[in-house]
Amino acid sequence: MTNTVITQPFLGFGLGLRTQHFEHVLTQQPEVDWFEVISENFMVGGGKPRYYLEAIGERYPLVMHGVSLSIGSTDPLDMDYLKALKQLANQVQPRWISDHICWTSIHGINSHDLLPLPYTEETVRHVAARVRQVQDFLGRRILLENVSSYLSYKDSSMDEWQFLNAVAEEADCLILFDVNNIYVSARNHGFEPLDYIRQMDPRRVQQIHLAGHSDYGDYVIDTHDSPICDPVWDLYSAALTHLGPVSSMIERDANIPEFSVLEQELAMARTLALQTLPQLAADHGKHHSAGLPGQDAKRMGSL
Amino acid sequence: MSKDQQQADKGRLHQLQQDFMAYLLQGEPGPALADRLKRQIRDQGGISLDTRIGIYANAYRVRLTEVLETDHPNLALYLGDDLWNTLTSAFIQARPSQFRSLRDFGDALPDFLRQHPQFNQDPILADIAAFERRLLNAFDAPEQPRAAFEQLQGLAPALWPGCRLRFHPSVQLFKCHSNAVESWQALKQGQAPAAADYSAQRAWLLWRGESRLTEFISLAPYQLALLEGFLAGEDFATQCAAMLAYVDADQAPVTVLQSLQAWFSMGLIARLDPGRQG
Ligand SMILES: [Fe+2]
Repeated sequence: MTNTVITQPFLGFGLGLRTQHFEHVLTQQPEVDWFEVISENFMVGGGKPRYYLEAIGERYPLVMHGVSLSIGSTDPLDMDYLKALKQLANQVQPRWISDHICWTSIHGINSHDLLPLPYTEETVRHVAARVRQVQDFLGRRILLENVSSYLSYKDSSMDEWQFLNAVAEEADCLILFDVNNIYVSARNHGFEPLDYIRQMDPRRVQQIHLAGHSDYGDYVIDTHDSPICDPVWDLYSAALTHLGPVSSMIERDANIPEFSVLEQELAMARTLALQTLPQLAADHGKHHSAGLPGQDAKRMGSL
Repeated sequence: MSKDQQQADKGRLHQLQQDFMAYLLQGEPGPALADRLKRQIRDQGGISLDTRIGIYANAYRVRLTEVLETDHPNLALYLGDDLWNTLTSAFIQARPSQFRSLRDFGDALPDFLRQHPQFNQDPILADIAAFERRLLNAFDAPEQPRAAFEQLQGLAPALWPGCRLRFHPSVQLFKCHSNAVESWQALKQGQAPAAADYSAQRAWLLWRGESRLTEFISLAPYQLALLEGFLAGEDFATQCAAMLAYVDADQAPVTVLQSLQAWFSMGLIARLDPGRQG
């Protein structure tokens, strides 16, 4: 284990780029530090979505977020998918590429869902070996995101955070830490979300997701269709205290509001981050005005 | 750890994934499968195992249904809630996704409608579905620069007869034997569609203009012939000859030229492929 910084510079505060906002982002050039795009949405043809992607990519840093890697599947890795992903990355030049720590397909059938894995030593080895293959192919580290889940397996012999850290360590990959998913899973499985947060390896967390969910009382579903709730904001603050500055963004995938509503929510994230990490103000101000990468490579907090 | 042990572990994960996926794919999983899957799930108190798996099974169906609804809003209106639900359930059951993007999930819907014993009684349904797929294709087709009419005008007259056209990738023809597009338009405007009418063939041209809006117009028979010829790679001289079936000989070149001028201004033409002299 080394102390070399392997995460990329702090990018600031971003949003998921959604079709409904293409035109607004392009013409109004809102004060958002970066955008995350869903890789699969730009793999077909191109056309109108690709036009916006290229134009927006000229003005903002982009990161690519995938949903079909199926890193935990027992199917062979889908090399056609990886080729398409690599080709897209060559064109988009994203700061980084992420997907989820889960499985989505088996026998070539795609569930289009992020399905849970049993957390065992065997699964760690299985997933880590595949991540290494993917990283070799892409020529870069990828980020894996913790998913929301609604069930857990009898086979599991470790907690999710142990599993996540173990895969990241064994595969030498990075982590996309979804704070809302922690909250959702904590409610559904009855664990303490702060335990999870405090166990995360700060050297490997490169991005944070924030989102809303649907609360059904007995259980919670990760719907990304509503504002971020207060307990999730509290967990975000706790995560930053533990991790230091991490590029953060808000995901909204359904019930998509006016862009200004998301900007307000992003301002909330910014304010909270500055309250939690006052050191961020000077550095981020510099970064924000210059809009150039590389300036804020130093990570603070627990590093 | 031995290789055998590793294989066994992977086999266990494989079996779990197979059972889980089978559970999602079967609308109403049999008790044997449900039991096998539930035996692997931890009872954590709170909600029941059935509720836990049910969240995934429900999300699977809802997600795919929503994709079909987004891609085929007017087919859904045409059918009404009950028939639309019957259709989407049957389609989801019959054609699980083998795609990386949900964008492609409904590609087989027109064919499915043509083959389905209930829905193939009304061929207009497959036509509406096919038209909606064409709209999506026009939206997603790759971008390419477009050529201007001046390029054709600047071409030496001797090169005209052998001249061919390369079309913008979004350009598509849609032919059907029903009033599918007229019904689609009525529904889009919040009106009730006319009764299905299978009296004549209709042809439509779809494309994404320079403003990036997806557009479509109906085609007269001579326009269809002209477009089909040029799309198939025929040259100017051949297409002038083809127009003789529709107009007088002295009108043929003018007809072709006027059409071309319109196509250029609509942004249909990506480039000219001048023929060789002589
Ligand atoms: Fe997320």
